[in-house]
Order: sequence, then structure tokens, then C-alpha cells
Amino acid sequence: MIYLDNGATTLHKAPGVYEAVNWGLRHCGNPGRGGYPAAMEASKVVFRCRERAGRLFHCDPEQVVFTMNCTHGLNMAIRTLLKPGDRVVISGFEHNAVTRPLHHLGCEILTAGTRLFSWTDTLQAFEDALKKKPKAAIFTHVSNVFGYILPIRDMAELCRKYGVPFVIDAAQSAGSQPIDLQALGAAFIAMPGHKGLLGPMGTGILLCAQLPEPLLQGGTGSQSYNQQMPELLPDRAEAGTLNLPGICGLCAALKHLEGQNLKKTMEREAQEAGKTAKELHALGATVFCGPHQGGIVSFLPPKGDCEMVTEKLAIHRICLRAGYHCAPLAHESAGTLDTGTIRVSFGPDACPGQTKALLEACRRVFQEQR
Amino acid sequence: MKEFYITFRSITYAQKGQAALQRAGIRCQLRRTPRVLEEKGCGYCLTISQWDSMKAVEALREGNVLFQRCYLRGPEGNWEEQML
Repeated sequence: MIYLDNGATTLHKAPGVYEAVNWGLRHCGNPGRGGYPAAMEASKVVFRCRERAGRLFHCDPEQVVFTMNCTHGLNMAIRTLLKPGDRVVISGFEHNAVTRPLHHLGCEILTAGTRLFSWTDTLQAFEDALKKKPKAAIFTHVSNVFGYILPIRDMAELCRKYGVPFVIDAAQSAGSQPIDLQALGAAFIAMPGHKGLLGPMGTGILLCAQLPEPLLQGGTGSQSYNQQMPELLPDRAEAGTLNLPGICGLCAALKHLEGQNLKKTMEREAQEAGKTAKELHALGATVFCGPHQGGIVSFLPPKGDCEMVTEKLAIHRICLRAGYHCAPLAHESAGTLDTGTIRVSFGPDACPGQTKALLEACRRVFQEQR
Repeated sequence: MKEFYITFRSITYAQKGQAALQRAGIRCQLRRTPRVLEEKGCGYCLTISQWDSMKAVEALREGNVLFQRCYLRGPEGNWEEQML
């Protein structure tokens, strides 16, 4: 099986993750809730995981809030910075994890930058929108549909220039692109634990440069007399029992990542995506590619609809995702709202063998479609 | 020998304190805060030898680790708050 749906989740986890989850289930009590060895052992793993994430993303351990996924973190960040009716700037490539909470909240949404792979367009449109005095800006680091790597450093600088707090959606970049909370100056950065970080599903991280508004209220194991959520990180944002087995797995995954060269991972993924784009084009597909592209490439088959072609590719044991990838805004920007796309998303295990198998299967399926 | 207790607002800060003390070569134990010292209910503290108290407080301040209060526990179980 050739798994190329890493944009949805990485299937092959980092070494040690499976064992760590098992160990957590068998040996850990509730972290931060007791003083006996099983509870203290659990607390130790949780803190170790915060420390590792802190080192990777340049922040203090208490700024690492555990969430159940990236969407959870984004919701918390959005609820903190925005109120109903507030104006907000987003990029033209946002996921529903950003747009749905904004619509639900009744925000006035300014979409800035809709041209794929154009940093000039993105930055110009973004600055124009920032001049309209939004309450916050939210942008993805890498488009989950097209792999477009947005110029987040420059966008962050613009936000700082205009005094607009901002949130970065690092769903597709955490683990494969360098991310620095301190240097970027973001209010929040949200990421899943189960994609590029190679941890288990059900885990996520919200990096907090400021105190978030909690989505849930409840027990934190601290300041129990206080009937308001504690005004300190990470407790304020972590009501209820943590996903300890998941955090054990995430901790093992982060340990693995500490020993990896992220730049090389990023280059390897982008290289395979580039090769794929070129060859798919030669096979007659419509391919969305350009500069500033990571390990994701979307295409339209020469004939037939995306879902049916993907189904046929699955018979050849190629795992790809077709459709809208929960990002209709990105399709609107790219002009693929009527068709959706087939997405190839490489992971840290990207290698020429995967690309070769994918292209061979595509060649056969495209021929059958004629 | 008297034991020195440093209390924290949450387990994360206590753990951060523990890491700072370990880096400074100070042996400490992370435990639940005794009921009598709890200000807002449920917390964690670090206990260290009385002789390391000054060095420990300095290490926490240098590491920007927020702590609440410091106490000495006498041999009879009496508590004395320490202003360091």
C-alpha cells in the first residue's frame, strides 16, 4: 500500500509512539490530580511533552496547551480574539476549521490573497486588508489542498506593523517546517498532533502567547476553591482529564522529531511533490503547482470525476483523497469549486518509490478512463 | 533537619521549578501541597533541604519560574513562612 494522504493524518507514526501509548494506558494515573507514583508518572510525561514541544516551537512549557486536534485549538484562539460582528482577515486558502467558527461567531470576514503560489499577491492583499483595522488575522501556514506555503514571516511582520493580533493554522506544517512562536509574535499557533508531528489522533497543541478564553470549564487539578477557570497557563485551557495515552504517544513522536532535520524532511516532501506534478502533467492531468509549494499537490484527472478516479487508484493500493478537503474557500480561490481535486500529500517518509508507484497507477487508471 | 517547602499555583509551574532546581544541582521532591498550606485548594510544591533554600529561590528567580510562598517545617510539624 502506498499511503499518500498525510494531509489528513500520517499513518506511519514515529518509532516508539505505539509502545508509548500502550505504556500510558497501562501505567499512568490522572496527571496533575494525585501525588502517588502512577499519577506523578503521568504528570512527568505531560510535562516532558510540553518541554519538547516548547523546544521545537520556541516557547515555555506552560505555553503549550494540549487540545484534542488542531480545530479545537483554532476555535479557542478565535473565541479569544474575536466577538460577534468583529472584522477579521483570513487568507484565501483557509480550512473550514477557521471559516466555520468565524461564520458561527458572525464575524465580518475579509478574504485576502486568492492567487495560488503568489507571495506578491498574498502580501499585497493582506496588507490592504490589514489597513481596514481588523480585530484579528488568521492564516494557514500551508494550504491543505494545494500545498502553497504562505509567506508567514512577512505576514506576521505586517500584522505586527499594523498592531493586529494573529493566529497561525499550522495543521500542514508542524513537523515539516520550522515554527517559532517567539520570533513570529503570533498570539496563538494551532496544530494537530497526528499529522506531521507523527503522534496519535486525538492530540493537538495550541501554542499560546497570551491567556486564551477556555471553550470548556471544569476541573484542572489546581485552585479548586476558585469557581472561575484559573488565570494561568496551561490550566485555563485544559479543563477535564487530558488524553494521557495520546500525550504519551505525542511525547515519543516529539522525541523522534528532535533528532530529525526538518529542513531535509521539508525538501524531500517538496521534491517528491514536484516530481509528481511534472509527471502527472505529462500524463494529461491538470496539475496545480508553482513556487512555494510543500509536499502537497492537487490535480484533476484527464477524464472522469475525482472521486471515481481515486476509487480506482485505491484498487491499485494507492491511498489518496479526493473532494474538497474541508476547504471550499481554497477551491473557490483556485477555481476548482465545481470539481474538487485529487490530493497527493507526502509525509516524512516521502521517497522516490512512492512517487513511482503512484505515477504507474495513475498511468493505468488514466488509460482505462479513455 | 527542617524541610523547606516552595508552593506553586499549578503542577506545571512546580515541574518547571523542579527542572530549574535540577539544572542548578539542587535535589528536590515534587509532591502535593499539604492542606494547611493550600491557598486556593489543590496544588503542588517542591521540598528541599533547608540548607539549599537560598540557592533554590535564586535558581527559580533566575529561571523566571513563578512560585507562591516558602515555608519551613519544623521537627514538631510547625510551619513558618519564609520571606526570601
